[in-house]
Amino acid sequence: MKRIVEIGILFSRSGDYQLLSNASRDGVIAAIEAVNANPARSIRLVAHERDPQGSIEKYGGLCAELLRDEKVTHIFGCTTSWSRKEVIPVMERHDGLLWYACPYEGFEANDHVVYTHACPNQHIVPMLAYVMPRFGSNAFLLGSNYVWGWEVNRVARDLIGDVGGHILGERYLPIGDTDVGRLIDEIRVARPSFVLNNLIGQSSYAFLKAYAELGRTEPAFASNRCPVVSCNLTEPELPAIGIAGEGHLSAGPYFADPLADGVAMPSSFPAAAYAAVLMLADAVEAAGSDNPAILRQMLDTLEYDTPLGRVRIDRQTQHTSLPVKIGRIENGAFRTVWHSQSLQAPDPYLSRSESRLFQGRPQLKVV
Amino acid sequence: MRRPRHNNRIPNLGGRRALVLHREHANVSALLRQLVAIGLDAQEAWPALPYDAEQADFLFFDVDMACNEQFPWQPGEAPMPLIALIGSEAPGRVEWAMSHRADAHLVKPIGSAGIYSTLLIALQKFEERKAVASEINDLRQQVAERGAIVRAVLKLMEQGLNEHEAFSALRSLAMDERVTLEEAAHGLIQGGARQRRLG
Repeated sequence: MKRIVEIGILFSRSGDYQLLSNASRDGVIAAIEAVNANPARSIRLVAHERDPQGSIEKYGGLCAELLRDEKVTHIFGCTTSWSRKEVIPVMERHDGLLWYACPYEGFEANDHVVYTHACPNQHIVPMLAYVMPRFGSNAFLLGSNYVWGWEVNRVARDLIGDVGGHILGERYLPIGDTDVGRLIDEIRVARPSFVLNNLIGQSSYAFLKAYAELGRTEPAFASNRCPVVSCNLTEPELPAIGIAGEGHLSAGPYFADPLADGVAMPSSFPAAAYAAVLMLADAVEAAGSDNPAILRQMLDTLEYDTPLGRVRIDRQTQHTSLPVKIGRIENGAFRTVWHSQSLQAPDPYLSRSESRLFQGRPQLKVV
Repeated sequence: MRRPRHNNRIPNLGGRRALVLHREHANVSALLRQLVAIGLDAQEAWPALPYDAEQADFLFFDVDMACNEQFPWQPGEAPMPLIALIGSEAPGRVEWAMSHRADAHLVKPIGSAGIYSTLLIALQKFEERKAVASEINDLRQQVAERGAIVRAVLKLMEQGLNEHEAFSALRSLAMDERVTLEEAAHGLIQGGARQRRLG
């Protein structure tokens, strides 16, 4: 007789970022099916789902419904930092645990959250360490006008300044704005060595298309000379960008590789979400309990075999030690051009010296 | 759209040392856990602070139970940012916390939220407080030294210089000797070699 573990799912099936939230949800569903189909498992997961439909006001209430009415303790969900911040007080009140599986801007370590995707020392720091020696240290920073762009660009300003580079411009567009002509004009005049793109969704796609047009008329802005680099661009978005994405770069713990062994995932979002479910399942089996207070004491004692590889959870921050990869868009897919040789331990507050300076940076090798 | 440039870089808190003066309690565990997650070395102490407490970079102290005798300094003279941990808001206890000039505070129960920003705000307040105290000290000293400048100018005027010439002479002396005006004045009043060189 298998032990039943009831879990909650809280992803938006519709709305501005549905491409990403549905990708994460797909990973959770696939992992639940895999756990339940595995005869060697001593637990069976039963999922209860709520859909906030991309509406920030709905997250807190639906989260409370899952915890209070469905009696779940563990919730897999949230895409944006804004929704995560809405959910956290509810998790604290009901002593739940949120498994958050998206890249984010760091500077948080809540003991009611397990973070299974990349934080800044696993995305922007290695991305800059990769791009600056190759293309130069003069950056143009772009972002959608909310916390992801502000924070990733703030970290980039500090790190670029540390190595004597210059910020030639920093511009923000309202979320959803596709009026990118002015940005392109400013970049053409500024002549940066690379563009750090923290635009999201339609703004990002419109910018990449206009930038590709600029590259066709002025070769100095071709992707092999002045690339656009991102820390959250993933495979589900590539069809929306089309050929304009070719040659540009993104950082993450995972890129879809059709030749990979084991469970192949279409992008890092479902891969990290799938990993989160496996981590919970392994931990509950090992602890014989799904009580967060008990799990917190032992999450760091296991190694988890996941689509991200064999990973670990850091006890102090409840963030995940992850591989770091740099992918280059080629023929509509990411080809890994660099990867860390070992797991990169999380440093969400960038408080370790190697996260600030370019000393002891992750050893990367050309694939 | 442009965002304002940030001139003040967020300080890196990694490796800094925090002391938590509080009896053992779930609040303390939560605080220590979060401080370590942020990257600090964190240590609890009760009732006595460790011998090297003055070297700590931050001190959190319990407003409910702590008392003056636990601090190796006078109220208001802590050599690091102070963060008050407030449970009861009894006015007498808040008044006591204020006598120690807490740079920031946290209200119990303490969870994961708010600790990072509290560290940054306390650090900024403490550094401002230190800079203002040092500036006031300098200004006080300058005011006290004004008498010496007046006496030095009078002494030079006795030698036949007018007021303007006397002050210029004193200023050139200070520049030549690379000392402040006040120090040059003291040297002059005490007489001797410098006075002869001016003559």
